[in-house]
Amino acid sequence: MNIVAIETATTACAIGLRTSTGFEMGWVVDDDRHHTETLTTAIDRTLREWSLTPADLDRIVVDRGPGLFTGLRVGLATAIGLSEALGIALVGVTSLELLAHGAHASGVRGTLVAAVDGRRGEVFIQTFALGEDVVATSEPTVDSPREVVIRWATLATPVTFTGDGVSRYLKDFAAVPNGNVEEQRVPSVTSALRLAMTREPSAFVEPLYLREADAVANFTTRERQ
Amino acid sequence: MTLALAIETSCDDTAAAVVDDALHVHSSVIESSIDQHKAFGGVVPELAGRAHLVTIGPVVRRALIEAGLDPHAPAIDVVAVTSGPGLIGSLLIGLSAAKAYALAWGKPFVGVNHLEGHLFAPLLERPDLEWPLVTLLVSGGHSMIVLQHGPGHHEVLGETIDDAAGEAYDKVARWLGLPYPGGPEIDRLAASGTAGSLKLPISMTGPDYDFSFSGLKTAVVRATEKQPDLPIADVAASFQAAVAEQLLRKLRHVLEARDVKGIALAGGVAANSALRRGVEGIAADYGVPSYLPSLSMCTDNAAMIGAAGLHRYVANGPSGFDLSARPNWPLAEVV
Ligand SMILES: [Zn+2]
Repeated sequence: MNIVAIETATTACAIGLRTSTGFEMGWVVDDDRHHTETLTTAIDRTLREWSLTPADLDRIVVDRGPGLFTGLRVGLATAIGLSEALGIALVGVTSLELLAHGAHASGVRGTLVAAVDGRRGEVFIQTFALGEDVVATSEPTVDSPREVVIRWATLATPVTFTGDGVSRYLKDFAAVPNGNVEEQRVPSVTSALRLAMTREPSAFVEPLYLREADAVANFTTRERQ
Repeated sequence: MTLALAIETSCDDTAAAVVDDALHVHSSVIESSIDQHKAFGGVVPELAGRAHLVTIGPVVRRALIEAGLDPHAPAIDVVAVTSGPGLIGSLLIGLSAAKAYALAWGKPFVGVNHLEGHLFAPLLERPDLEWPLVTLLVSGGHSMIVLQHGPGHHEVLGETIDDAAGEAYDKVARWLGLPYPGGPEIDRLAASGTAGSLKLPISMTGPDYDFSFSGLKTAVVRATEKQPDLPIADVAASFQAAVAEQLLRKLRHVLEARDVKGIALAGGVAANSALRRGVEGIAADYGVPSYLPSLSMCTDNAAMIGAAGLHRYVANGPSGFDLSARPNWPLAEVV
Protein backbone atom coordinates (compact mmCIF):
# COMPACT_ATOMS: atom_id res chain seq x y z
CA MET A 1 0.00 0.00 0.00
CA ASN A 2 1.18 3.52 -0.82
CA ILE A 3 0.21 5.74 2.11
CA VAL A 4 0.65 9.46 2.79
CA ALA A 5 0.52 10.71 6.39
CA ILE A 6 -0.45 14.31 7.23
CA GLU A 7 0.52 15.85 10.57
CA THR A 8 -0.57 19.43 11.38
CA ALA A 9 -1.74 19.30 15.01
CA THR A 10 1.10 21.46 16.36
CA THR A 11 2.96 24.50 15.04
CA ALA A 12 4.89 22.05 12.84
CA CYS A 13 3.80 20.66 9.50
CA ALA A 14 5.01 17.10 8.91
CA ILE A 15 4.32 14.46 6.30
CA GLY A 16 5.12 10.79 5.90
CA LEU A 17 5.21 8.36 3.00
CA ARG A 18 5.11 4.58 3.00
CA THR A 19 5.45 2.84 -0.34
CA SER A 20 4.10 -0.57 -1.32
CA THR A 21 7.71 -1.75 -1.44
CA GLY A 22 7.91 -1.17 2.31
CA PHE A 23 9.98 2.01 2.23
CA GLU A 24 8.93 4.36 5.03
CA MET A 25 9.86 7.89 5.99
CA GLY A 26 8.55 10.93 7.74
CA TRP A 27 9.84 14.44 8.29
CA VAL A 28 9.01 17.90 9.51
CA VAL A 29 8.44 20.21 6.55
CA ASP A 30 8.12 23.42 8.52
CA ASP A 31 8.26 24.28 12.20
CA ASP A 32 6.53 27.63 12.36
CA ARG A 33 2.83 27.51 11.48
CA HIS A 34 3.16 27.61 7.70
CA HIS A 35 0.79 24.68 7.21
CA THR A 36 -1.18 26.38 4.43
CA GLU A 37 1.86 27.33 2.40
CA THR A 38 3.92 24.16 2.82
CA LEU A 39 1.67 21.08 3.11
CA THR A 40 0.47 20.51 -0.48
CA THR A 41 3.81 21.58 -1.94
CA ALA A 42 5.59 19.03 0.27
CA ILE A 43 3.27 16.16 -0.67
CA ASP A 44 3.60 17.06 -4.36
CA ARG A 45 7.40 17.20 -4.20
CA THR A 46 7.73 13.99 -2.19
CA LEU A 47 5.57 11.95 -4.56
CA ARG A 48 7.61 13.22 -7.51
CA GLU A 49 10.89 12.37 -5.77
CA TRP A 50 9.70 8.80 -5.34
CA SER A 51 8.34 8.62 -8.89
CA LEU A 52 4.80 8.24 -7.63
CA THR A 53 1.69 10.06 -8.83
CA PRO A 54 -1.25 10.89 -6.58
CA ALA A 55 -3.23 8.20 -8.44
CA ASP A 56 -0.78 5.62 -7.04
CA LEU A 57 -1.90 6.36 -3.49
CA ASP A 58 -4.07 3.81 -1.70
CA ARG A 59 -4.68 5.48 1.62
CA ILE A 60 -4.36 8.79 3.50
CA VAL A 61 -3.82 8.98 7.23
CA VAL A 62 -4.33 12.25 9.08
CA ASP A 63 -3.83 13.47 12.62
CA ARG A 64 -7.33 14.62 13.66
CA GLY A 65 -6.16 16.32 16.85
CA PRO A 66 -6.43 17.47 19.50
CA GLY A 67 -4.17 20.40 18.74
CA LEU A 68 -3.77 23.72 16.99
CA PHE A 69 -7.08 24.61 15.30
CA THR A 70 -5.57 26.37 12.28
CA GLY A 71 -3.19 23.53 11.54
CA LEU A 72 -5.86 20.85 12.00
CA ARG A 73 -8.17 22.62 9.55
CA VAL A 74 -5.49 22.70 6.88
CA GLY A 75 -4.47 19.09 7.50
CA LEU A 76 -7.99 17.69 7.60
CA ALA A 77 -9.25 19.69 4.60
CA THR A 78 -6.23 18.51 2.61
CA ALA A 79 -6.74 14.89 3.69
CA ILE A 80 -10.47 15.04 2.89
CA GLY A 81 -9.70 16.63 -0.51
CA LEU A 82 -7.16 13.95 -1.42
CA SER A 83 -9.31 11.03 -0.32
CA GLU A 84 -12.43 12.44 -2.04
CA ALA A 85 -10.59 13.31 -5.25
CA LEU A 86 -8.86 9.95 -5.54
CA GLY A 87 -11.65 7.84 -4.09
CA ILE A 88 -9.28 6.30 -1.54
CA ALA A 89 -9.62 5.45 2.14
CA LEU A 90 -9.04 8.00 4.87
CA VAL A 91 -7.86 7.01 8.34
CA GLY A 92 -7.92 9.36 11.33
CA VAL A 93 -5.54 9.00 14.27
CA THR A 94 -5.12 11.25 17.30
CA SER A 95 -2.13 13.43 18.11
CA LEU A 96 -1.91 11.90 21.59
CA GLU A 97 -1.75 8.30 20.38
CA LEU A 98 0.89 9.30 17.82
CA LEU A 99 3.00 10.75 20.62
CA ALA A 100 2.54 7.51 22.60
CA HIS A 101 3.50 5.34 19.64
CA GLY A 102 6.44 7.62 18.85
CA ALA A 103 7.75 7.27 22.42
CA HIS A 104 7.16 3.51 22.28
CA ALA A 105 9.20 3.27 19.08
CA SER A 106 12.02 5.15 20.85
CA GLY A 107 12.06 2.46 23.56
CA VAL A 108 10.04 4.16 26.29
CA ARG A 109 8.16 1.66 28.50
CA GLY A 110 5.85 1.97 31.48
CA THR A 111 3.42 4.80 32.18
CA LEU A 112 3.43 7.59 29.60
CA VAL A 113 1.63 10.93 29.68
CA ALA A 114 1.27 12.55 26.25
CA ALA A 115 0.52 16.27 26.21
CA VAL A 116 -0.20 18.58 23.27
CA ASP A 117 -0.11 22.34 23.81
CA GLY A 118 -3.72 23.54 23.89
CA ARG A 119 -2.90 27.27 24.29
CA ARG A 120 -4.71 29.43 26.85
CA GLY A 121 -2.59 27.85 29.59
CA GLU A 122 -3.95 24.36 28.97
CA VAL A 123 -2.74 21.05 27.55
CA PHE A 124 -4.57 18.23 25.77
CA ILE A 125 -3.56 15.15 27.67
CA GLN A 126 -3.89 11.34 27.78
CA THR A 127 -2.22 8.52 29.73
CA PHE A 128 -0.90 5.32 28.16
CA ALA A 129 0.66 2.06 29.34
CA LEU A 130 3.63 1.20 27.15
CA GLY A 131 4.54 -2.49 27.25
CA GLU A 132 4.60 -4.84 24.31
CA ASP A 133 1.82 -2.68 22.89
CA VAL A 134 0.57 0.84 23.43
CA VAL A 135 -2.62 0.86 25.51
CA ALA A 136 -4.55 4.01 26.40
CA THR A 137 -5.41 4.05 30.11
CA SER A 138 -7.42 7.28 30.12
CA GLU A 139 -9.60 9.30 27.79
CA PRO A 140 -8.09 12.36 26.12
CA THR A 141 -8.96 15.48 28.14
CA VAL A 142 -8.02 19.12 28.46
CA ASP A 143 -6.32 20.16 31.69
CA SER A 144 -4.02 22.77 33.21
CA PRO A 145 -0.35 21.71 33.19
CA ARG A 146 -0.07 22.70 36.85
CA GLU A 147 -2.86 20.28 37.85
CA VAL A 148 -1.24 17.48 35.86
CA VAL A 149 2.16 18.10 37.44
CA ILE A 150 0.71 18.20 40.98
CA ARG A 151 -1.21 14.96 40.38
CA TRP A 152 1.87 13.04 39.21
CA ALA A 153 4.14 14.62 41.84
CA THR A 154 1.71 13.39 44.52
CA LEU A 155 1.63 9.87 43.07
CA ALA A 156 5.45 9.76 42.85
CA THR A 157 5.29 6.67 40.59
CA PRO A 158 7.58 6.33 37.56
CA VAL A 159 6.17 8.22 34.59
CA THR A 160 7.41 9.60 31.28
CA PHE A 161 6.06 12.86 29.84
CA THR A 162 6.15 13.66 26.13
CA GLY A 163 4.76 16.12 23.57
CA ASP A 164 4.93 19.85 22.81
CA GLY A 165 2.65 20.46 25.79
CA VAL A 166 5.50 19.14 27.94
CA SER A 167 8.16 21.16 26.08
CA ARG A 168 6.14 24.31 26.67
CA TYR A 169 5.98 23.72 30.44
CA LEU A 170 9.28 21.85 30.65
CA LYS A 171 10.41 23.25 34.02
CA ASP A 172 7.20 22.11 35.70
CA PHE A 173 7.19 18.63 34.18
CA ALA A 174 10.95 18.11 34.74
CA ALA A 175 10.44 18.81 38.46
CA VAL A 176 8.11 15.81 38.98
CA PRO A 177 9.81 13.21 41.23
CA ASN A 178 10.20 9.86 39.41
CA GLY A 179 9.26 11.70 36.22
CA ASN A 180 11.17 11.59 32.95
CA VAL A 181 10.82 13.77 29.90
CA GLU A 182 10.98 12.20 26.45
CA GLU A 183 11.71 15.07 24.08
CA GLN A 184 9.17 14.80 21.22
CA ARG A 185 7.52 17.94 19.93
CA VAL A 186 5.85 16.64 16.77
CA PRO A 187 3.48 13.64 16.82
CA SER A 188 5.14 10.77 14.98
CA VAL A 189 4.21 10.47 11.29
CA THR A 190 5.92 7.10 10.92
CA SER A 191 3.66 5.83 13.70
CA ALA A 192 0.71 7.25 11.77
CA LEU A 193 1.79 5.30 8.67
CA ARG A 194 1.92 2.05 10.68
CA LEU A 195 -1.42 2.67 12.40
CA ALA A 196 -2.97 3.42 9.00
CA MET A 197 -2.37 -0.15 7.88
CA THR A 198 -4.18 -1.73 10.81
CA ARG A 199 -7.05 0.72 11.29
CA GLU A 200 -10.42 0.56 9.60
CA PRO A 201 -10.91 3.59 7.36
CA SER A 202 -14.00 5.70 8.06
CA ALA A 203 -16.32 7.55 5.70
CA PHE A 204 -15.76 10.76 7.59
CA VAL A 205 -12.89 11.71 9.87
CA GLU A 206 -14.07 14.03 12.58
CA PRO A 207 -11.65 16.43 14.25
CA LEU A 208 -11.09 15.83 17.95
CA TYR A 209 -11.62 19.33 19.37
CA LEU A 210 -12.02 18.51 23.09
CA ARG A 211 -13.33 22.05 23.58
CA GLU A 212 -16.61 23.65 22.62
CA ALA A 213 -16.39 26.55 20.20
CA ASP A 214 -16.25 29.71 22.33
CA ALA A 215 -19.18 30.88 20.33
CA VAL A 216 -20.88 33.18 22.78
CA ALA A 217 -17.74 34.98 23.89
CA ASN A 218 -16.17 35.50 20.52
CA PHE A 219 -18.62 36.00 17.75
CA THR A 220 -18.12 38.68 15.18
CA THR A 221 -20.93 40.46 13.44
CA ARG A 222 -19.65 39.74 9.96
CA GLU A 223 -22.79 38.64 8.29
CA ARG A 224 -23.62 37.01 5.00
CA GLN A 225 -21.70 38.63 2.22
CA MET B 1 -14.16 24.66 -23.76
CA THR B 2 -12.43 25.30 -20.45
CA LEU B 3 -14.19 23.85 -17.43
CA ALA B 4 -13.63 24.94 -13.82
CA LEU B 5 -14.51 23.34 -10.53
CA ALA B 6 -15.00 26.24 -8.11
CA ILE B 7 -15.04 26.21 -4.31
CA GLU B 8 -16.20 29.01 -1.99
CA THR B 9 -15.94 28.92 1.82
CA SER B 10 -15.19 32.53 2.79
CA CYS B 11 -18.04 32.94 5.30
CA ASP B 12 -20.83 30.59 6.43
CA ASP B 13 -21.73 28.97 3.07
CA THR B 14 -19.90 25.90 1.79
CA ALA B 15 -20.32 26.10 -1.97
CA ALA B 16 -19.03 24.29 -5.05
CA ALA B 17 -19.88 24.70 -8.73
CA VAL B 18 -18.84 23.64 -12.21
CA VAL B 19 -18.70 26.48 -14.74
CA ASP B 20 -17.35 26.74 -18.30
CA ASP B 21 -15.66 29.66 -20.04
CA ALA B 22 -18.85 30.49 -21.98
CA LEU B 23 -20.19 31.14 -18.45
CA HIS B 24 -22.65 28.28 -18.43
CA VAL B 25 -23.26 26.95 -14.95
CA HIS B 26 -23.22 23.12 -15.07
CA SER B 27 -23.93 22.78 -11.35
CA SER B 28 -24.01 24.96 -8.25
CA VAL B 29 -24.34 23.52 -4.75
CA ILE B 30 -24.61 25.55 -1.54
CA GLU B 31 -24.74 24.24 2.02
CA SER B 32 -25.26 26.95 4.61
CA SER B 33 -24.48 26.78 8.33
CA ILE B 34 -26.66 29.85 8.94
CA ASP B 35 -29.01 28.01 11.33
CA GLN B 36 -26.11 27.41 13.73
CA HIS B 37 -25.37 31.16 13.86
CA LYS B 38 -28.89 32.54 14.32
CA ALA B 39 -28.82 32.43 18.11
CA PHE B 40 -25.70 34.62 18.13
CA GLY B 41 -27.05 37.31 15.82
CA GLY B 42 -24.11 36.94 13.45
CA VAL B 43 -21.72 34.44 11.92
CA VAL B 44 -19.55 32.75 14.56
CA PRO B 45 -16.18 32.06 12.86
CA GLU B 46 -15.40 28.98 14.95
CA LEU B 47 -18.76 27.36 14.17
CA ALA B 48 -18.48 28.27 10.48
CA GLY B 49 -15.05 26.63 10.27
CA ARG B 50 -16.24 23.45 11.95
CA ALA B 51 -19.22 23.24 9.60
CA HIS B 52 -17.09 23.73 6.46
CA LEU B 53 -14.92 20.78 7.45
CA VAL B 54 -17.98 18.54 7.65
CA THR B 55 -19.60 19.71 4.40
CA ILE B 56 -16.70 20.41 2.02
CA GLY B 57 -16.29 16.82 0.75
CA PRO B 58 -19.99 16.07 0.14
CA VAL B 59 -20.64 19.52 -1.43
CA VAL B 60 -17.82 19.17 -3.97
CA ARG B 61 -18.86 15.59 -4.76
CA ARG B 62 -22.45 16.71 -5.40
CA ALA B 63 -21.33 19.57 -7.66
CA LEU B 64 -19.27 17.16 -9.78
CA ILE B 65 -22.00 14.52 -9.99
CA GLU B 66 -24.72 17.07 -10.80
CA ALA B 67 -22.50 18.37 -13.64
CA GLY B 68 -22.33 14.82 -14.99
CA LEU B 69 -18.65 14.37 -14.09
CA ASP B 70 -16.79 11.46 -12.53
CA PRO B 71 -16.01 12.66 -8.98
CA HIS B 72 -12.70 10.76 -8.97
CA ALA B 73 -11.49 11.79 -12.43
CA PRO B 74 -13.52 14.79 -13.61
CA ALA B 75 -12.80 16.27 -17.02
CA ILE B 76 -12.18 19.73 -15.61
CA ASP B 77 -9.31 22.04 -16.55
CA VAL B 78 -8.78 24.12 -13.43
CA VAL B 79 -9.79 24.27 -9.76
CA ALA B 80 -10.78 27.80 -8.69
CA VAL B 81 -11.13 28.74 -5.03
CA THR B 82 -11.82 31.84 -2.95
CA SER B 83 -8.54 32.71 -1.21
CA GLY B 84 -9.78 36.01 0.30
CA PRO B 85 -11.19 38.20 1.66
CA GLY B 86 -13.22 36.43 4.37
CA LEU B 87 -12.97 34.63 7.69
CA ILE B 88 -9.50 33.09 7.92
CA GLY B 89 -10.62 29.81 9.49
CA SER B 90 -13.26 29.38 6.80
CA LEU B 91 -11.04 30.39 3.87
CA LEU B 92 -8.36 27.87 4.90
CA ILE B 93 -10.70 24.91 4.51
CA GLY B 94 -11.74 25.71 0.94
CA LEU B 95 -8.21 26.69 -0.02
CA SER B 96 -6.60 23.55 1.45
CA ALA B 97 -9.23 21.28 -0.10
CA ALA B 98 -8.92 22.99 -3.51
CA LYS B 99 -5.15 22.47 -3.52
CA ALA B 100 -5.67 18.80 -2.62
CA TYR B 101 -8.21 18.24 -5.44
CA ALA B 102 -5.87 19.98 -7.91
CA LEU B 103 -2.88 17.94 -6.77
CA ALA B 104 -4.85 14.67 -6.87
CA TRP B 105 -6.08 15.22 -10.43
CA GLY B 106 -2.92 16.87 -11.72
CA LYS B 107 -4.83 20.07 -12.59
CA PRO B 108 -3.82 23.70 -12.09
CA PHE B 109 -5.53 25.70 -9.37
CA VAL B 110 -6.21 29.42 -9.04
CA GLY B 111 -6.95 31.62 -6.02
CA VAL B 112 -9.86 34.01 -6.54
CA ASN B 113 -10.81 37.27 -4.83
CA HIS B 114 -14.30 36.86 -3.37
CA LEU B 115 -15.30 40.42 -4.32
CA GLU B 116 -14.22 39.95 -7.91
CA GLY B 117 -16.39 36.83 -7.82
CA HIS B 118 -19.42 38.97 -6.90
CA LEU B 119 -18.62 41.29 -9.83
CA PHE B 120 -18.78 38.32 -12.22
CA ALA B 121 -22.16 37.14 -10.90
CA PRO B 122 -24.32 39.40 -13.15
CA LEU B 123 -22.37 38.09 -16.19
CA LEU B 124 -23.46 34.52 -15.49
CA GLU B 125 -27.08 35.52 -16.11
CA ARG B 126 -26.55 38.32 -18.61
CA PRO B 127 -23.66 37.65 -21.01
CA ASP B 128 -24.88 40.68 -23.03
CA LEU B 129 -23.64 43.21 -20.43
CA GLU B 130 -22.28 46.42 -21.88
CA TRP B 131 -19.17 48.22 -20.64
CA PRO B 132 -18.25 50.36 -18.87
CA LEU B 133 -20.54 49.06 -16.18
CA VAL B 134 -21.02 50.54 -12.74
CA THR B 135 -21.69 47.96 -10.03
CA LEU B 136 -23.03 48.55 -6.57
CA LEU B 137 -21.56 45.70 -4.50
CA VAL B 138 -23.37 45.54 -1.17
CA SER B 139 -23.31 42.71 1.35
CA GLY B 140 -22.96 41.93 5.03
CA GLY B 141 -19.20 42.25 4.68
CA HIS B 142 -18.73 44.89 1.99
CA SER B 143 -20.23 48.00 0.45
CA MET B 144 -18.53 49.48 -2.58
CA ILE B 145 -19.14 51.12 -5.88
CA VAL B 146 -17.03 49.79 -8.73
CA LEU B 147 -16.62 50.96 -12.32
CA GLN B 148 -15.82 48.03 -14.59
CA HIS B 149 -14.25 48.72 -17.97
CA GLY B 150 -14.60 45.06 -18.95
CA PRO B 151 -14.58 41.69 -17.18
CA GLY B 152 -11.78 41.81 -14.60
CA HIS B 153 -10.95 45.47 -15.27
CA HIS B 154 -12.28 47.23 -12.22
CA GLU B 155 -11.82 50.62 -10.68
CA VAL B 156 -13.02 50.93 -7.08
CA LEU B 157 -14.62 54.38 -6.95
CA GLY B 158 -15.71 54.33 -3.34
CA GLU B 159 -16.46 52.10 -0.38
CA THR B 160 -17.78 52.19 3.14
CA ILE B 161 -15.55 53.98 5.59
CA ASP B 162 -16.91 51.91 8.50
CA ASP B 163 -19.69 49.24 8.55
CA ALA B 164 -21.07 47.42 5.54
CA ALA B 165 -24.71 48.12 4.65
CA GLY B 166 -25.64 44.55 5.60
CA GLU B 167 -24.09 45.03 9.05
CA ALA B 168 -26.29 48.11 9.59
CA TYR B 169 -29.33 46.00 8.68
CA ASP B 170 -28.38 43.31 11.19
CA LYS B 171 -27.68 45.82 13.97
CA VAL B 172 -31.01 47.58 13.51
CA ALA B 173 -32.84 44.26 13.18
CA ARG B 174 -31.30 43.02 16.45
CA TRP B 175 -32.32 46.24 18.19
CA LEU B 176 -35.87 45.88 16.86
CA GLY B 177 -35.92 42.31 18.19
CA LEU B 178 -36.02 40.76 14.70
CA PRO B 179 -34.20 37.51 13.92
CA TYR B 180 -30.86 37.27 12.14
CA PRO B 181 -30.18 37.83 9.26
CA GLY B 182 -31.93 41.20 9.47
CA GLY B 183 -32.07 42.18 5.78
CA PRO B 184 -34.99 40.05 4.61
CA GLU B 185 -36.97 40.74 7.83
CA ILE B 186 -36.65 44.52 7.56
CA ASP B 187 -37.39 44.38 3.84
CA ARG B 188 -40.57 42.38 4.55
CA LEU B 189 -41.75 44.78 7.30
CA ALA B 190 -40.86 47.84 5.23
CA ALA B 191 -43.34 46.78 2.55
CA SER B 192 -46.25 47.77 4.83
CA GLY B 193 -44.58 50.87 6.35
CA THR B 194 -44.15 54.45 5.26
CA ALA B 195 -40.63 55.57 4.45
CA GLY B 196 -39.73 58.96 5.89
CA SER B 197 -42.12 58.73 8.83
CA LEU B 198 -39.09 58.32 11.11
CA LYS B 199 -36.87 61.40 10.77
CA LEU B 200 -33.33 60.24 10.06
CA PRO B 201 -30.37 62.49 9.26
CA ILE B 202 -28.83 62.25 5.79
CA SER B 203 -25.12 61.47 5.96
CA MET B 204 -22.22 61.39 3.51
CA THR B 205 -23.53 64.15 1.26
CA GLY B 206 -20.07 64.95 -0.16
CA PRO B 207 -19.11 64.64 -3.82
CA ASP B 208 -17.00 61.48 -3.26
CA TYR B 209 -18.29 57.92 -3.64
CA ASP B 210 -17.70 56.66 -0.09
CA PHE B 211 -20.40 55.39 2.28
CA SER B 212 -20.88 55.35 6.04
CA PHE B 213 -23.40 53.18 7.87
CA SER B 214 -22.05 52.89 11.40
CA GLY B 215 -24.03 55.91 12.71
CA LEU B 216 -27.33 54.75 11.30
CA LYS B 217 -28.29 52.40 14.14
CA THR B 218 -27.73 55.13 16.74
CA ALA B 219 -29.72 57.53 14.57
CA VAL B 220 -32.61 55.05 14.42
CA VAL B 221 -32.50 54.54 18.21
CA ARG B 222 -32.51 58.32 18.88
CA ALA B 223 -35.25 59.07 16.36
CA THR B 224 -37.42 56.29 17.76
CA GLU B 225 -37.08 57.75 21.28
CA LYS B 226 -38.59 60.96 19.92
CA GLN B 227 -41.37 59.09 18.09
CA PRO B 228 -42.00 56.14 20.47
CA ASP B 229 -45.43 55.28 19.09
CA LEU B 230 -44.31 54.82 15.50
CA PRO B 231 -45.21 51.34 14.17
CA ILE B 232 -42.24 49.03 13.60
CA ALA B 233 -43.11 48.80 9.89
CA ASP B 234 -42.61 52.56 9.58
CA VAL B 235 -39.25 52.33 11.39
CA ALA B 236 -38.17 49.54 9.03
CA ALA B 237 -39.32 51.42 5.94
CA SER B 238 -37.59 54.64 7.03
CA PHE B 239 -34.33 52.88 7.85
CA GLN B 240 -34.39 50.93 4.60
CA ALA B 241 -35.01 54.12 2.65
CA ALA B 242 -32.08 55.85 4.40
CA VAL B 243 -29.69 53.04 3.43
CA ALA B 244 -30.92 52.95 -0.15
CA GLU B 245 -30.88 56.74 -0.40
CA GLN B 246 -27.20 56.92 0.51
CA LEU B 247 -26.23 54.15 -1.93
CA LEU B 248 -28.35 55.48 -4.75
CA ARG B 249 -27.19 59.09 -4.35
CA LYS B 250 -23.58 57.97 -4.89
CA LEU B 251 -24.69 55.90 -7.84
CA ARG B 252 -26.23 58.99 -9.40
CA HIS B 253 -22.94 60.85 -8.87
CA VAL B 254 -21.16 58.19 -10.92
CA LEU B 255 -23.68 58.40 -13.75
CA GLU B 256 -23.26 62.20 -13.78
CA ALA B 257 -19.47 62.10 -13.78
CA ARG B 258 -18.48 59.04 -15.78
CA ASP B 259 -19.28 57.37 -19.07
CA VAL B 260 -21.45 54.43 -18.01
CA LYS B 261 -23.29 51.96 -20.26
CA GLY B 262 -25.09 49.96 -17.60
CA ILE B 263 -25.79 49.50 -13.88
CA ALA B 264 -25.45 46.21 -12.01
CA LEU B 265 -26.17 45.11 -8.47
CA ALA B 266 -24.16 42.44 -6.63
CA GLY B 267 -23.82 41.02 -3.10
CA GLY B 268 -26.41 39.80 -0.63
CA VAL B 269 -28.02 43.22 -0.06
CA ALA B 270 -28.73 43.33 -3.82
CA ALA B 271 -31.77 41.20 -2.98
CA ASN B 272 -33.26 44.22 -1.17
CA SER B 273 -36.42 45.47 -2.86
CA ALA B 274 -35.85 49.19 -2.15
CA LEU B 275 -32.40 49.01 -3.69
CA ARG B 276 -33.61 47.10 -6.73
CA ARG B 277 -36.42 49.60 -7.34
CA GLY B 278 -34.00 52.49 -6.90
CA VAL B 279 -31.47 51.11 -9.36
CA GLU B 280 -34.20 50.51 -11.93
CA GLY B 281 -35.33 54.11 -11.46
CA ILE B 282 -31.83 55.51 -11.97
CA ALA B 283 -31.29 53.31 -15.02
CA ALA B 284 -34.50 54.65 -16.53
CA ASP B 285 -33.53 58.25 -15.71
CA TYR B 286 -30.17 57.91 -17.48
CA GLY B 287 -31.37 55.65 -20.28
CA VAL B 288 -29.01 52.76 -19.54
CA PRO B 289 -29.88 49.10 -18.88
CA SER B 290 -29.89 47.70 -15.33
CA TYR B 291 -28.75 44.16 -14.49
CA LEU B 292 -30.28 42.77 -11.33
CA PRO B 293 -29.10 39.22 -10.65
CA SER B 294 -31.47 36.62 -9.24
CA LEU B 295 -31.42 36.15 -5.48
CA SER B 296 -29.25 33.04 -5.65
CA MET B 297 -26.65 34.90 -7.70
CA CYS B 298 -26.60 37.89 -5.30
CA THR B 299 -25.66 35.83 -2.27
CA ASP B 300 -22.45 33.84 -1.92
CA ASN B 301 -22.09 31.00 -4.42
CA ALA B 302 -19.27 29.15 -6.15
CA ALA B 303 -20.47 29.71 -9.73
CA MET B 304 -19.34 33.35 -9.55
CA ILE B 305 -15.97 32.19 -8.18
CA GLY B 306 -15.67 29.83 -11.14
CA ALA B 307 -16.39 32.66 -13.60
CA ALA B 308 -13.83 34.98 -11.98
CA GLY B 309 -11.39 32.07 -11.62
CA LEU B 310 -11.53 31.21 -15.33
CA HIS B 311 -10.84 34.86 -16.14
CA ARG B 312 -7.87 35.02 -13.74
CA TYR B 313 -6.53 31.67 -14.93
CA VAL B 314 -6.48 32.82 -18.56
CA ALA B 315 -5.19 36.32 -17.72
CA ASN B 316 -2.62 35.55 -15.00
CA GLY B 317 -2.01 31.80 -15.07
CA PRO B 318 -2.35 29.35 -12.20
CA SER B 319 -1.49 29.99 -8.53
CA GLY B 320 1.22 28.05 -6.73
CA PHE B 321 0.46 25.47 -4.05
CA ASP B 322 2.18 27.84 -1.61
CA LEU B 323 -0.69 30.36 -1.91
CA SER B 324 -1.84 31.76 1.46
CA ALA B 325 -5.33 32.84 2.42
CA ARG B 326 -5.73 36.63 2.52
CA PRO B 327 -8.54 37.54 4.96
CA ASN B 328 -8.27 41.25 4.06
CA TRP B 329 -7.44 41.09 0.33
CA PRO B 330 -8.65 44.41 -1.18
CA LEU B 331 -10.32 44.31 -4.59
CA ALA B 332 -8.10 47.19 -5.72
CA GLU B 333 -5.11 44.83 -5.50
CA VAL B 334 -6.61 42.37 -7.97
CA VAL B 335 -5.13 43.01 -11.42
ZN1 LIG C 1 -19.95 37.65 -0.50
